Amino acid sequence: MKGYLYDSDRCMACTSCTVVCPVAAATREFLGPKMVGPALSRFRRPALAPDLAADLCSNCKNCDISCPSGVPISTLNMLSKAEYYRHHRHRLRDWVLSHGQLMGNLATPFVPLSNLAIANPISRTMLGAFGFAGRMPLPAYVRKTFRKQFRALRQQSFPQKVVFFPGCYIDFYDPGVGLDFVAVMQANEYEVVVPRGLGCCGTPMVANGFPGAAERAVRRNVRALQEWTDAGVPVVACCTSCSLTLKQEQQELFDVPGAAELAARVYDATEFLLELRDRGKLKTDLKQLSGRYLYHAPCHLRDQGIGRPGFEMLGSLPGLEISDADAGCCGLSGSYGFKGDRYEVAQAVGDALFKKVRASGADAVISECGTCRHQITVATGAKTLHPISVMRRAFE
Amino acid sequence: MSACDVVVIGGGLSGLVAAAAAAERDKKVVLIAKGVGAIAVGSGSIDVLGYEAGGKPVARPLAEMGKLPSNHPYARAGKQATAKAFEFFLDLCEKGGFPYSGSADVARWVPTAIGTLKPTCFLPRSMDPAPLEAAKAAVVVGFRGLKDYYPELIIRGLMQVPAYPKRFRTVIVDPEMAGRDVNALDIARWLDTESGRHACIEQMLTGIAPGNVVLVPPVLGTVPNYGVLEEFEKATTCKFIEITGMPPAITGLRLYDLLVSEIKKRGVRIVEHATVTRAVVDNGRCTAVVTHGVDRERTHPARSFILATGGFYSGGLEAGVGSAREPVFGLPVKVPESQSDWSNAFLLSGGAQPFARFGLDVDARLRPTDGSGKAVFENVYAVGRTLSGFDDAFEKSGNGVAVVTGYRAGTLVA
Amino acid sequence: MDSVTVVVIGGGATGTGILRDLSMRGVKTLLIERGDLASDASGRFHGLLHSGARYAVTDPRSAKECIEENAILRRIGKHCVEKTEGFFVRLEGDGEDYEGQWVAGCAAARIHAKRVDLKEARRLEPHLSRRAVSVFRVPDSAIDGFRLCWQNVASARRYGGEVRTYTEATGIERAGDRVVGVTVCDTLTGAVDSIGCDHVVNAAGSWVGRVASWAGIEVDVKPDRGVLIAFNHRFTNRVINRLRPPANGDIFVPHGPITVLGTTSSPVASADDNVPHVEEVLELLHNGTELFEDLPKYRILRAYAGARPLYSPGEGRAASRDFTILDHSTDGLRGLTSAAGGKLTSYRLMAEKTADVVCRELGVKAACRTAAEPMVEDPPRRLVTRARPFFPPYGLDLAASRLGAAFGPVVQGLQMHPEERRLICECEMVTLAEVESAAREPTTFNLGDIRRRTRMGMGTCQGAFCSLRAVGALVSHDLVADKDGKALIRDFLETRWKGIRPVLWGDQIREAEFQREVYAATLNLDGTAQR
Ligand SMILES: Cc1cc2nc3c(=O)[nH]c(=O)nc-3n(C[C@H](O)[C@H](O)[C@H](O)COP(=O)(O)OP(=O)(O)OC[C@H]3O[C@@H](n4cnc5c(N)ncnc54)[C@H](O)[C@@H]3O)c2cc1C
Ligand SMILES: Cc1cc2nc3c(=O)[nH]c(=O)nc-3n(C[C@H](O)[C@H](O)[C@H](O)COP(=O)(O)OP(=O)(O)OC[C@H]3O[C@@H](n4cnc5c(N)ncnc54)[C@H](O)[C@@H]3O)c2cc1C
Ligand code: SF4
Ligand code: SF4
Repeated sequence: MKGYLYDSDRCMACTSCTVVCPVAAATREFLGPKMVGPALSRFRRPALAPDLAADLCSNCKNCDISCPSGVPISTLNMLSKAEYYRHHRHRLRDWVLSHGQLMGNLATPFVPLSNLAIANPISRTMLGAFGFAGRMPLPAYVRKTFRKQFRALRQQSFPQKVVFFPGCYIDFYDPGVGLDFVAVMQANEYEVVVPRGLGCCGTPMVANGFPGAAERAVRRNVRALQEWTDAGVPVVACCTSCSLTLKQEQQELFDVPGAAELAARVYDATEFLLELRDRGKLKTDLKQLSGRYLYHAPCHLRDQGIGRPGFEMLGSLPGLEISDADAGCCGLSGSYGFKGDRYEVAQAVGDALFKKVRASGADAVISECGTCRHQITVATGAKTLHPISVMRRAFE
Repeated sequence: MSACDVVVIGGGLSGLVAAAAAAERDKKVVLIAKGVGAIAVGSGSIDVLGYEAGGKPVARPLAEMGKLPSNHPYARAGKQATAKAFEFFLDLCEKGGFPYSGSADVARWVPTAIGTLKPTCFLPRSMDPAPLEAAKAAVVVGFRGLKDYYPELIIRGLMQVPAYPKRFRTVIVDPEMAGRDVNALDIARWLDTESGRHACIEQMLTGIAPGNVVLVPPVLGTVPNYGVLEEFEKATTCKFIEITGMPPAITGLRLYDLLVSEIKKRGVRIVEHATVTRAVVDNGRCTAVVTHGVDRERTHPARSFILATGGFYSGGLEAGVGSAREPVFGLPVKVPESQSDWSNAFLLSGGAQPFARFGLDVDARLRPTDGSGKAVFENVYAVGRTLSGFDDAFEKSGNGVAVVTGYRAGTLVA
Repeated sequence: MDSVTVVVIGGGATGTGILRDLSMRGVKTLLIERGDLASDASGRFHGLLHSGARYAVTDPRSAKECIEENAILRRIGKHCVEKTEGFFVRLEGDGEDYEGQWVAGCAAARIHAKRVDLKEARRLEPHLSRRAVSVFRVPDSAIDGFRLCWQNVASARRYGGEVRTYTEATGIERAGDRVVGVTVCDTLTGAVDSIGCDHVVNAAGSWVGRVASWAGIEVDVKPDRGVLIAFNHRFTNRVINRLRPPANGDIFVPHGPITVLGTTSSPVASADDNVPHVEEVLELLHNGTELFEDLPKYRILRAYAGARPLYSPGEGRAASRDFTILDHSTDGLRGLTSAAGGKLTSYRLMAEKTADVVCRELGVKAACRTAAEPMVEDPPRRLVTRARPFFPPYGLDLAASRLGAAFGPVVQGLQMHPEERRLICECEMVTLAEVESAAREPTTFNLGDIRRRTRMGMGTCQGAFCSLRAVGALVSHDLVADKDGKALIRDFLETRWKGIRPVLWGDQIREAEFQREVYAATLNLDGTAQR
């Protein structure tokens, strides 16, 4: 965080970020990354009142990916949003969307009642009144969280360990992906650990302008993982926003001791597997698969500077046909597309991808990010999978 | 990271062409880029050689390359490779469904957003200026609110061109855009939509007549194809010419998108948002480069490396007070001793700027050399703006050098 | 030949202040300036509205003058003064004795200097050096010299004062022992003219000696060159002074989004050379880094140089920053008064004293009222509220204070023509309407003039985007004389380049490469035409 003053100094006003920003493409109300990030940041120190120009920014990070100057544009945006909300009240909706863990803990005991509440037309309209997008269903809570199921799982013990960071999405909505990860690791003689005390990575709180809550989340996770990072055990996440936050965002935004040491050990699941493969540490007698898939690279994966390891892994699995959609951001960007006033923007952003998906006729769309998958399914009806779920079929 | 044959460092025009050329030879290629290159916001015309050192326009670029000093990148690449490179480039565009036209044999002069003409060689069909020279009158289309293009400014300049028409008319199209300021990208996106195209054609038709030559800002769609152009031509039976201008100049973005998808098709793996910070060296060879992404270092081993990191703008070169450096390999960058000799008293002095010529000296195989002219690494090649010995802005050769040296390196790597 | 009662030569703070003062006293006055207003020392200075604390030890009289004028300017010049306050910071190793003298000096001059707890100081200014050992708070402020001159003129115009820019005085016309007029030359066209008057005020800053010499009178003004560096960011919200005997590079002044570090001091033979040198920049950086350790990482926008019009026997810093009014009837010539020396902070007082002399000679009885009346009115609240949606964040307040009386019409334009809202300069948030409003001023001839009125082109990209846009828009509205606009763009980029060249490393060499890629590679502004 300390560097942000001179990092924004690096901007040359070249417009590269403006060109790639999906939100700027979708709405003329957004001034664009260059303006909202580095350009306005010059005025924020002398100003008396903070601005809300960054409110529409979805924190998708396409701007950062394109910038030739290394300006942490999205971080500047999040910082300015945070500053604004230090002085202004939030909407209840933003609180709900950014506190998925708490909501999940409250809701799961009552599943399917709580889902009914989310899905039935009357409460959807009521949610709309709070500022949720009526047309964008929230994902359904599962009856048994990943962590509950994991605790019940009987793993074979191996000397090689890996920590799994479930994050909210997998924990509350999509535990299957977590279980698939465990299965893949077990097949490759790794034991998976999920330490107590892990919670939300903090990214939804950051995106919605709750820096305080986000920082608390970060501190708690860093503490919970410390014992493992000290021992040199890799920390793996299946959600790209979680892995990105653990790797980068928590370091850029906060000053939490141990965050850098943790970041050095964090892997996205597909990245981890690709690295094991390259080191010759993965099983090689894989099952023959079949199927035609379309791959969508989440923005938060692209931002990590590791290429598309999931796509690459899948491409090397026997019998699989996979092509890269290469159609930009899905639009949902975590919690963004769930907001009533953001829904149209989010749909417009994802339009190119949806068209590709519909035209592809693929058996399923593969993507690492849970909210990307949710958005794709809701928009196109296509079946979606995490790469790890496909890999499980090859390894088991 | 998995081992490959070639790591290309840099995702600008030179890196993309190098990756394509190497992949064409069935090399396993990984391209690593910190950000996008100049081409993504530049004009996309491939300038080859517009002016000689004294400032005289060059009529026949390819032929006159023979006169360049031996340390000029074109001279390093050699005449044969230069000609082949352009063929390769044209072929790439053709295959990508966005054919470029032109040749390096003759200079073509294209109109700009300030009403000057700029010498260049290869252009997308939508920028071909030929119809303008043949016309008696022309129309300049402006868009209400578009802040980087002013028909009046363009016309005042072009009126002074002897070979050009003396009669210009203006048609202003209103894209009816609310919200933030309008740039060329906004208009291009508008014309990506069917309703936008229809509205635009309808409005244009109030001021243009069949057979007119029509100058427009670079707004004929964001996608690398001629869909919008052809629809406009069909609906109006006019000839359209896109003008070059300020970033974001959409014509470059189209070429960028085209090249990225072409290299992906050829199996090149792209690692975005990763900065190569150093190299692992063993006995005169580079064995791997190390990136720093958002979190930690990663090693990328390969047999050959192509350094396509650009100039100061992109960070391929860095300058401090009185010294400059190449940050990845720490290769020597020669600069005058006194900082005041780095530049001319005038920015647009009509001569080359010393600092614009700073860069890496290379041998005939494009390998960076030490002070004595010996290659520093046997398997590291440097291409594009990061090379020394030319001021691309002054001589109008930036994209040409990027294509030629990129191609050349792509054919040399093991 | 025109004729007025008084001609003021020189459109800096002093000259415009005199114009205002005389006009308010009902004297028909014309100011002539060879360039644009504030194009010399009053625009090439540090922008510090001194509290006087800087002079508390070395020059108690100046100190007292400063604190009095400081209070007045905060009142009458609200729209050109940013009430930042200032810190005096003593670093480890800086003499403690001096601190004691300084505290006593401040007290004597009635400058309120209050010690600030170190922790509090760090909280307020987090980038300040860790080596700070004592910090005091003083009523320093930042002042915008361009705006000050303009607002003086705006105020003078309300009382009938007139201004002609790009008009150089080339001679003083006399009849016997009386001044009867000034010979002038239009610096844009070269046309020569003469203006009749009863009195000439020589407010030519560092050129006061030169002007006086035309009348055969010697005034020994010694130009003293100073260099400053503008940084891209505001890394301090307060003026930061080093608490030690005044030396080079020990003051930082925040201005809107930027910070200015200065200055050097070296006597020069001529004030005409205002190109900064690398060595001067490096000296400033070296010294400045002691107050802000991260300074080398901050991006420099440009460097610039000006000359102080010092009038006194001594040289350099030892010379007084005080002013002297010379009534040349003592030299045997009636109708010529020179205002020599001074500093910007005390320009109003200097103008008052000059006008007193002039009025005495003219037999005008009216008293000075410049300290009582604000230079420009506050824009009406309702207008500001109405204008908010037409500006980007932060743009409104900037525009409201820099536009003065033009604010109303500009808002009107923005409301009626939404395309006027587009930002010509995205770095300094300047709308097309403002650029056009500045361009319509009869005193505007080039982009530099527009820049000084609006700040267009003074931010991060240093003209890379706004020069094309401004010229394009002005050409479309027929607001420029240049037939194709190219010369205007080129001249603007070249004047920006003068300040970039001495800092051509780091991010500025990147920006310069980018600028050339746009204006040379893409737009071919540099190359000869075909055939
Ligand atoms: C605005 C503009 C307009 C222009 N207009 C024209 C024109 O009209 N005609 C013309 O012929 N030329 C033009 N040029 C010049 C021309 O575009 C360039 O000279 C040419 O494209 C340079 O290509 P390059 O690949 O060598 O470098 P760049 O395009 O600068 O690309 C360098 C790449 O390397 C990456 N990189 C840098 N350091 C690292 C690192 N350490 N690790 C990983 N990646 C790194 C960068 O992010 C970037 O992707 C223009 C340039 C600009 C900026
Ligand atoms: C580097 C530097 C830093 C400074 N910092 C500060 C500070 O922080 N605070 C402060 O209070 N003071 C400061 N000063 C001092 C202050 O800037 C000057 O004292 C003040 O601006 C002088 O104003 P002026 O009007 O007398 O002179 P100028 O502003 O120089 O005006 C004189 C004008 O006369 C014009 N002129 C000359 N000859 C002719 C002619 N023949 N015909 C027509 N016009 C003519 C010139 O073009 C010029 O515009 C600083 C000075 C310098 C150089
Ligand atoms: S993070 Fe995404 S939405 Fe926000 S400015 Fe960057 S590109 Fe645009
Ligand atoms: S891409 Fe980076 S350098 Fe370019 S305008 Fe955006 S922030 Fe500035």
